[in-house]
Amino acid sequence: MAGRLFVRRRDGRIEVRLNDDARAIAREAFGHVLAAEIDPAHEWHASLNGPIDPSHDVDDPLATFNRQHEVTSNVELAVATLNEEFLNDAEAWAWLCTLQIALRATITAKGLLTKDRLEGADETTLEYITTLQTFLFSLADAM
Amino acid sequence: MPSVKPLRVSGETQAESSVATITERPWNVVVWDDPVTPMTVVVVIFRKVFGYPNNKATQLMLTVHHEGRAIVWSGPLERAQGYCVKLQVAGLLSTIEKDS
Repeated sequence: MAGRLFVRRRDGRIEVRLNDDARAIAREAFGHVLAAEIDPAHEWHASLNGPIDPSHDVDDPLATFNRQHEVTSNVELAVATLNEEFLNDAEAWAWLCTLQIALRATITAKGLLTKDRLEGADETTLEYITTLQTFLFSLADAM
Repeated sequence: MPSVKPLRVSGETQAESSVATITERPWNVVVWDDPVTPMTVVVVIFRKVFGYPNNKATQLMLTVHHEGRAIVWSGPLERAQGYCVKLQVAGLLSTIEKDS
């Protein structure tokens, strides 16, 4: 059984126990979120720009601006701390938000929004989803 | 909480006057289920975004999981939009809707 990937230390910091391969996966996920935020052609872009009020054709511009600003801030902080051994609470929150966005964007882009469709996904996609879930589960447990 | 604006109808006598009450319906922040988000992640996000205690965050998470959606907050439009954005920034599928 794999050990915990994120551990809350007595001094309040969260220790990151990801090996190089795991950090490479996190780096790739963060990179995709950053790219998707600015590139309308990116397959994750739609997932990052879902409706706030579905009863209106266009959402409040201030709300969408705030969303873009906060997503960008989080992903930039996550990227900046990618190689750190310890995270403070703000950094851990940025990691959690960005990994969760990557997870949801993956299933949205591939149309895996139900359990039945998810079970029919290819092995590579399922492995990627499981890896992100493992990161998230451990990180949430430490927060 | 809905805001209440009492309106006094002009041109009526004191005895006949009535106070009409217009109640502005609140806006609901809704979180939708998906098949991949770990339950503990949803609880952490509810605690962080709303400041809910662990038991309330867990109850709401279970409602999302079992019923496919949950109203996690209700109130004025601007605050509902703000909370919805924070939930989306945290990677949850969230929308707002006017209370029916």
